[in-house]
Amino acid sequence: MYEFNFQRPANSDAAIDAQANAEDGQYMAGGQTIIPVLKQRLAMPSDVIDLGAIEDLSGITIADGTVTIGAMTTHTDVATSGDVLGAIPALADLASMIGDPHVRNRGTIGGSIANNDPAADYPAAVLGLGATVHTNQRTIIADEFFTDLFETALDEGELITNVAFPVPDQAAYMKFPNPASRYAIAGVFVSRTGADVRVAVTGAATCVFRAAEMERALAGNFNPDAIEGIGVDGTDFNNDLHASAEYRTHLVSVMAKRAVAKALG
Amino acid sequence: MSKVKIRDSVRRIEDLRFLTGTGNYIDDVVIGGEVVGVVVRSPYAHAKINGFDATDAEALDGVLAVITGAEWAAQNFGPIPTNSAVKENRDGTPISVPDRPCLASERVRYVGEAVAFVVAETLAIARQAVELVDVDYDPLPAVTHPVKALEPGAPQLHDAIEGNLCVDWELGDKDGTEKAFAAADRIITLELHNNRVTGAPIEPRGAVAYYDDASGTYTIYQSSQNIHANRNQMATILGIDKDNIHHVAPDVGGGFGAKNSVYPEPVITLYATKKVGRPVKWVNDRAESFLSDTHGRSQYSTVEMAVMNDGTFKGLRTTTIGEMGAYCGTVGAFTPTGGSARTQGGPYAFEAMYYSAKAGFTNTAPLDPYRGAGRPEGSFQIERIVELAARELDMDPVELRRKNLIPKDALPLVTSMGLDVDCGDFPTVFEKTLAMTDRAGYEARAAASQAQGKCRGFAIAPYLECTGGMPKEHAVISFDDDGSVSLAIGSHSTGMGHETSLPQILAAQLGIDIERIKFTQADTDATPLGGGHGGSRGMEMGGNAVLQTAGEVIEKGKAIAAHHFECSVDDVEFDDGAYIQPGSNNTMTMDNAINAAQDHSTLPDDLAPGCLDTGSTFERGIISIPNGCHAAEAEVDPETGAVQITGFWVVDDFGTIVNPMLADGQVMGGIGQGLGQALLEQAIYDEESGQLVTGSLIDYALPRAEDMPPMRLDYYEDSPTKKTPLGAKGAGEAGCCGAPPAIVNAVLDALKGHGVTHIEMPLTPEMVWQAVRDA
Amino acid sequence: MPTLSMTVNGEQVSGEVEGRTLLVDFLRENLRLTGTHVGCDTSQCGACVVHVDGVSMKSCTMLALHAQGTEVATIEGVANGDTLHPMQEAFRENHGLQCGFCTPGMVMTALALVKDNPDPTDAEVRHGLEGNLCRCTGYQNIVHAILDGAKAMREGAANEGES
Repeated sequence: MYEFNFQRPANSDAAIDAQANAEDGQYMAGGQTIIPVLKQRLAMPSDVIDLGAIEDLSGITIADGTVTIGAMTTHTDVATSGDVLGAIPALADLASMIGDPHVRNRGTIGGSIANNDPAADYPAAVLGLGATVHTNQRTIIADEFFTDLFETALDEGELITNVAFPVPDQAAYMKFPNPASRYAIAGVFVSRTGADVRVAVTGAATCVFRAAEMERALAGNFNPDAIEGIGVDGTDFNNDLHASAEYRTHLVSVMAKRAVAKALG
Repeated sequence: MSKVKIRDSVRRIEDLRFLTGTGNYIDDVVIGGEVVGVVVRSPYAHAKINGFDATDAEALDGVLAVITGAEWAAQNFGPIPTNSAVKENRDGTPISVPDRPCLASERVRYVGEAVAFVVAETLAIARQAVELVDVDYDPLPAVTHPVKALEPGAPQLHDAIEGNLCVDWELGDKDGTEKAFAAADRIITLELHNNRVTGAPIEPRGAVAYYDDASGTYTIYQSSQNIHANRNQMATILGIDKDNIHHVAPDVGGGFGAKNSVYPEPVITLYATKKVGRPVKWVNDRAESFLSDTHGRSQYSTVEMAVMNDGTFKGLRTTTIGEMGAYCGTVGAFTPTGGSARTQGGPYAFEAMYYSAKAGFTNTAPLDPYRGAGRPEGSFQIERIVELAARELDMDPVELRRKNLIPKDALPLVTSMGLDVDCGDFPTVFEKTLAMTDRAGYEARAAASQAQGKCRGFAIAPYLECTGGMPKEHAVISFDDDGSVSLAIGSHSTGMGHETSLPQILAAQLGIDIERIKFTQADTDATPLGGGHGGSRGMEMGGNAVLQTAGEVIEKGKAIAAHHFECSVDDVEFDDGAYIQPGSNNTMTMDNAINAAQDHSTLPDDLAPGCLDTGSTFERGIISIPNGCHAAEAEVDPETGAVQITGFWVVDDFGTIVNPMLADGQVMGGIGQGLGQALLEQAIYDEESGQLVTGSLIDYALPRAEDMPPMRLDYYEDSPTKKTPLGAKGAGEAGCCGAPPAIVNAVLDALKGHGVTHIEMPLTPEMVWQAVRDA
Repeated sequence: MPTLSMTVNGEQVSGEVEGRTLLVDFLRENLRLTGTHVGCDTSQCGACVVHVDGVSMKSCTMLALHAQGTEVATIEGVANGDTLHPMQEAFRENHGLQCGFCTPGMVMTALALVKDNPDPTDAEVRHGLEGNLCRCTGYQNIVHAILDGAKAMREGAANEGES
């Protein structure tokens, strides 16, 4: 790691100030992605602004059909939260599939979605549930949050405070993990709220996306059979060491059907 | 205090250290005042080096030295030696062995090759300095595929070696094989690949060294599995007397072959410590381990079997292309030649066999033994062709194997490959394995799988091994005033439990408490020679060395007992931990004899304290022939290609088993690595850039707990080998021989209904899915 | 340099560290607690697992300053003097370790797993080892060790409850 100045502000305002005043300030949430990056000397921030001491960024609340999860809430806390398990079990289930137990004990939802790794799990839930990302400046709907490979709508210095998930009628996440990294080779999150169906795909392309054709088919008939033969266009899918674009295209269909079946219980 | 016997599952002594965090691995070793060395590695697969500029690195505060390839070349040190048991091509000409310097100065031939070495006060400074070392490269075209490397027009690695060819070799009965093929009803042919993998011990390689100016001697601690050989080779490279290097391995966190070879870094560390006048510590990180550890396997083979329509095997012919990497490793050309040839044909009867191999240089890290070193490749070749033969003959694969196993009464025999198979009972081992697998319940399990849209398959895979490794081993037994017994050995445990099993043999022989024994291994000051670890030699060589040396101690002690009994030495016998004089009531326990040996007053005049201390070298004859049988059940999801191995059964014939608990551990660990090769692991180099694209544990999949099946193990113990007094046959590598074919064949059996007959390893979900789709 | 204070294995410790110092490096180099190991640089192997405020974490993937004011437990603090913890004893009894390098992480993971799930199944134990790699054992004996260790810990707790 290159040297950096470590700051641990006690509240969000101080964090934002620290970031603004730093030459090249890097927020650090759980650090489960950024620390390996720093260790490989692939990033050289002047300042690391650790968010771990900011108490009001953590926690889970449930009200008015919405589960709100603080940005610094760990994957373990989401996976084991009675509120989440009761309201959106698919979200808890997804959180329990991220990384491994030790990573889940430190990794956070805010860190995950701000990083927007193309193979990360959380972006599928945020997009697949139509969540809203709250920052210190504004609210960003999921459909506008994830913009490109490792890119989000967040401005420089903008800090996620929490993510609000509307409670769906039915939802499930199915993931085909990379055997080495545990990241998704293809992961599909489906949800149904009334007649509104969302299908979000992670791992397959450069950025999480919605499978519109599947959503339309499922809106009429929320059943795995409804998407039999309806695939996704994998022309631009990731084609790498871990899977060909063709295989990913196939896996998206399989995971989507299995996710719908799982959502139906 | 406890008495132990051979075949007791004595719990491990070393565990007390490892379980409490007080083990002493290489990165834990502290000399005092050490500085840190980090290697500068080539980013190119193939390039000409025009020059080095270390000015900026040397100017960095805290940097003590930057040793470049140019500086190394100016010292005129020797190349890294290679010692292949196969030294000649089929035409009698010598095999091609290129010079390999510890630091490249003119040309690099693989990504990760060492070109310079930075020594600094801290690791952080050293890593920063590494980035400041400027090496001027002219990239050259690279070839990373062993078959393509041997094709005309391939980029050439070594100016003096034409066509990248290291070795062109054959073994067996060529004429007899041709006759067998001519007389056969059918020829079954299969092209297959033994995938390139790496040992990946969880502890990366490292060394800590210092130089004593006054005595002119070096001391080096190294995470090695072979310190005596490494010491001798390092002395050869540096042009110094081997006695000027004291080489010690502390606790070693796994080896599997990857810590066997003499590597550049420890030699550079020795040079560096003398140069800077401070102890130097170098420890690889994981990324460097992937780039610079030796890799294993990598063979592209055509296997042909001549068979009669009734399933009788006639002849076997294997034509293979192996891979050396950029240079010859420590055993060089041996693995894809002799290493794979010897056990060709497995435990089956063939009229004749013939093996033909070439191996070429590629722009990749050198290959060297990895757990099994050629035998797993051979085992995979025979078991895959047998499975395919069963398909093509429409015979039950179990029946076909049963029909062709070498019967017990045919032993001893010497195979077409020259392998001396002295004892064993292959049919009994096979039936015993089959009986464990609950064949009766299989149909119900297969139906349950089918109900979930999955397919289930079963396969059985007998294997034939040959073990022994380095043919000499030395043990030293000495007795201290405080009553303790010291046992030093030149063989080496990197996790196998020799700190327990070798004292177990000694304690059982002498009839003393095992707790009384202090164990030392892997220290060139403790034994004059040592064969380290390799070739599953722990019990076969280390165990026999202890047995032999203990026997000499017992003989010497007879004089003490005779003095005590006031009888002739010839009248003294040793039985169950005590000397006796038959026909009298005289007895003297070994404990008492040991105590008596420390005191002039209780010794005869011609003996002095210390008289029982004994060092002895055991030398084996012919290698031993472990054998056994693996069976696996697999469940495959044809929709995704995902494979789960749901059951695994093994019966092994390791001859005498000293500690069954430890033998179990060796077998299960070998199965784990075999499963890794079969389903998960592959070291992949990009063919364009020559970069290792599986250079981290994010990209190179090691088996996890959930990947492993429940394993049930048993032994066949009625055939201890007469080749050595202990009767043990090597256990360490057997798991890697049986598991890949059992697993792959079980998956293929599961996909039989889909018409799939072959999938190359590793059987990743995508490979399986593709095969189902293409069939 | 910032000053760091924490409790390690029940003892208050402090030291000066750089911002970039990893917790594992602070433990190994500053405190010479070398039982916590580093086997990779990408957070896969789990040889570095310790407990921070009772929760298992990869000490190679957190900064030392992240542990400011916490209670850290490492493998060195698990045994009671010369008496092995029942989980350590179970690893020994089941031959759940070979080279020993991954073992500290395995034991710390096992203890965290059993804390959350005192009576786990074979499958739950295997899933709980998702973040820990062993290259020697094939895992079966590790799984058996954890199941036995959990049983011994349940029985120990029951006996304590009775006395």
